[in-house]
Amino acid sequence: MCGIIGCVGRGSATLDTLLGGLDTLDYRGYDSAGVALAGSSVQTGKKAGELDALRSHLADRSLSGAVGIGHTRWSTHGPPTDANAHPHCDCTGEVAVVHNGIIENYQTLRDELASDHAFESDTDTEVIPHLIETLLADHDPETAVRRTLDRLEGSFAIAVAIADTGAIFAARQDSPLVLGVDDDATYVASDVPAFREHTDRVVYLDDGQLVRLDDDGYAVSEFDGTPRDPPVETVEWDPEATGKAGYDHFMLKEIHEQPRALRQCLQGRVDELAGSVTLDIDPDVDRVQFVACGTSYHAALYGAALFRAAGTPARAFLAHEYATQTPPIEDDLVVAVSQSGETADTLAAIREADRRGADTLALTNVVGSTMARECTDALFIRSGPEIGVAASKTFSAQLTAVNLLALATVGAGDGDLRDLIGALRDLPADLQTVLDGSDAERVAREYVDSESFFFIGRGYHHPVALEGALKLKEISYTHAEGFAAGELKHGTLALVTPDTPVFAVVTGDDEAARKTIGNVKEVEARDAPVVAITDGASDVERYADAVLDVPATHARTAAVLANVQLQLVAYHVANELGRSIDKPRNLAKSVTVE
Amino acid sequence: MNLSTGVVLAAGEGTRLRPLTQTRPKPMLPVCNRPIVEYVLDALVDAGVSELVLVVGYKRGRVQDHIGSTYRGHPVTYVHQRKQLGSGHALLQAREAVDGPFVSVNGDRVIDPQTVADVLDGFDGETATMAVREHANATAYPNGAVRLDDGRVTELVEQPDDPYRLINAGVYAFPSGWFDRLAATGRRDGDLYLPDAIVELTAERAVLGVRTEGLWVDITYPWDLLEATRRLLDAGLADERTADPGVYVHETARVHDRATLQAPVVVGPDAEIAAGVVVGPNTALGRNVTIAANATVERSLIGADTRIGSGTTLRDCVTGTAGEFGPGVVVPGGVADVHIGTDVHENERLGAIAGDRVTLRGGACCEPGTVLGVDATVGVGAVARDRVGTGAEVVR
Repeated sequence: MCGIIGCVGRGSATLDTLLGGLDTLDYRGYDSAGVALAGSSVQTGKKAGELDALRSHLADRSLSGAVGIGHTRWSTHGPPTDANAHPHCDCTGEVAVVHNGIIENYQTLRDELASDHAFESDTDTEVIPHLIETLLADHDPETAVRRTLDRLEGSFAIAVAIADTGAIFAARQDSPLVLGVDDDATYVASDVPAFREHTDRVVYLDDGQLVRLDDDGYAVSEFDGTPRDPPVETVEWDPEATGKAGYDHFMLKEIHEQPRALRQCLQGRVDELAGSVTLDIDPDVDRVQFVACGTSYHAALYGAALFRAAGTPARAFLAHEYATQTPPIEDDLVVAVSQSGETADTLAAIREADRRGADTLALTNVVGSTMARECTDALFIRSGPEIGVAASKTFSAQLTAVNLLALATVGAGDGDLRDLIGALRDLPADLQTVLDGSDAERVAREYVDSESFFFIGRGYHHPVALEGALKLKEISYTHAEGFAAGELKHGTLALVTPDTPVFAVVTGDDEAARKTIGNVKEVEARDAPVVAITDGASDVERYADAVLDVPATHARTAAVLANVQLQLVAYHVANELGRSIDKPRNLAKSVTVE
Repeated sequence: MNLSTGVVLAAGEGTRLRPLTQTRPKPMLPVCNRPIVEYVLDALVDAGVSELVLVVGYKRGRVQDHIGSTYRGHPVTYVHQRKQLGSGHALLQAREAVDGPFVSVNGDRVIDPQTVADVLDGFDGETATMAVREHANATAYPNGAVRLDDGRVTELVEQPDDPYRLINAGVYAFPSGWFDRLAATGRRDGDLYLPDAIVELTAERAVLGVRTEGLWVDITYPWDLLEATRRLLDAGLADERTADPGVYVHETARVHDRATLQAPVVVGPDAEIAAGVVVGPNTALGRNVTIAANATVERSLIGADTRIGSGTTLRDCVTGTAGEFGPGVVVPGGVADVHIGTDVHENERLGAIAGDRVTLRGGACCEPGTVLGVDATVGVGAVARDRVGTGAEVVR
């Protein structure tokens, strides 16, 4: 959840390198930040609040040191305060530690250390520098760090700076950590963008590995000391591909990037004239269990429906529930959906599935992510980096990719394969049409002051309704709920008033559409304003106060287009309310704690 | 001298290019499958310019979405011209984004790196410098005819009566302080034109003119895109893979073994071409275009995401994106009088111009010179002629 950066070999640019790295990591959490620079002594600076608070705090102090570590924090233990911000130090101030994850046995360790050590924070992390301090009495620094790692239980990625070593030690257990390798400098971070400006050569660490960075480069080993030589890989993402490109927010930029993201997702994978879908994976698919959380869970619900339409038993599970209450697995392919490929809850679920002998498949955006490496197969959605905390283009790409997966493995079911491939190939242009002509900003202005928002949809549009509500909640902090259209009358209708607009996704003119229109009439009868997201095929517009159009297409692809209208509604409502759209309160992009 | 910053004016609509520019600014029109602004950015980058500033306005999202925040690894800064008040006003918007001397280029004209390099060679760091070139019809050229004397620009005039040979090529190098001078330049009906700031200096011979001869393609009317694509194909400037001489097919395109590509022709990414199709010569198929069996496309630019049905014939066409040409559509092409705005252009060779998302249902026809607006529809077997408005439907 937090972001870590460390560097060796940057000389007087060490502090700027750390702060620059933290800038790119702050999507991982942002309630406090800090740095430590180490030379003959260790100097730290840390501050609650956004990175600018740290910057101004550091402005009147001159930190120096040839190596350094930095951290942005998203609170798990203790509130966001200066004291709880990382790095944390030992009693002597010679050892500084940044940490991402949770130390499960920290209370035991703290009780053990409390008599000889003064603790300054409420965090679990602080036990680590004090443990190292104790072990340094009898051991060299590297051994002290190894012995400390042996004592830790839980999930963590840590980076340690110790005075007079000229080195950074970093270790990974169930939390992402990656090295950046340059000719005269070495970096370690939670994610590649933190150092991508300096190098494109990376080494992905595995769980249970420790790395020492110093002037001689880097040395990877297991916690027990066995040396390892993991491969150096080259990443392709352009360091500047994460700018806002003239838009006010990353989210709006990413919404507008969707036609391109979908082209990348489809490229080379579909052949409409031949009627074929080709992926570079070929998993056995008799039954499917999807595991995911948040927005990715909505993509999982949609994906499961695609497989069921082709007669293949498939269900979507919330990953955190699945991990602790695993359903029976019978020849199921377990598909993990996660933008980052690092979502701790989802990792726990696939590890449980793997333990039970299931084949696993990662549907993710990040090549080299933990999930992509641990699963039997990986299917990449190819969206490029997404910076806005609220997922937009990656959700659309997940929906597109899961269509490809279903068509390639179990076929189109009752639909015509060529028609479906055609609808997918039309998606980028159809999506552009939605972006060019959307009325969402006007609709958002009209209803921005509403007390609550409801979203309804049936079939493939049910996950869209759920996602529409989640997006609005995430970035506008307004209450919203999504429902299967038929479910509203079984309870929630009691909440529907003239002050609760209902967004209804209705495309086509089949039985499902007509039934949803029946549900629309139910809310209209309670005087709730109705916003229809429709292709105009049915007469739903007669019952709607406002209409958001999508081009006519297959029901499966219509769901992708309808979702884009709801993304824009959420964005404009949040913008009207002046919310922090790219970094909503309490949320982090990649949830790497369970 | 070397300059690090280049300003590209990419805010203009290009009204004479409607309906193609109804959904995108002129710099985003494709020539040989790449938007014009990419050629301009290439010219800057290849001439050593590393900081790119794009002035955007009309339909600016199209430029921003396509170019993004970097171009070939160089950072791109966008400045927004909120009102279209002339080229000088557009450039003035870049004031806060530029420090020191800089290059300024029009984003709606194809240029090559040599033109930029020539201007940089001639620039002394202190004297405004502009590219000039010979032009067959210099007196009618809207951005001004030029006279040079010993490397100094002595005259820059719009549409003069007496003969001129040289024109303003729209590529400049300006010294520090240029924005102050530009801001102080007199306006015409509230609009501020970049050439006017230069005209004020020509009397004192304070502008250097550099003669350039590199590739330079101006686009005024939709059919100029056909000519421009032909010239770039002739120059071998398509960036897709070459199968046979003059046949450029992107590696992700799928072309059936029994389809025929007649050079010069370029086929964009993700395109699919079925058996029996004949494409070319002088044709560019945009990204993700689909052509069903036995269709023929000659001397045409087909916009991205367009579908062309089986047995359809398209000749001398320029189409926007996401068009739908049902089976058996016929646009025979040929010479016609074309209505653009309030003007009639006589004897232009033009089959049809189509805005984005037109639908021509099975068996529909277009008489030569037809202009179809965005979202226009031509019904089954119907015949379109002259102009069909935005969203209009021809039923018979």
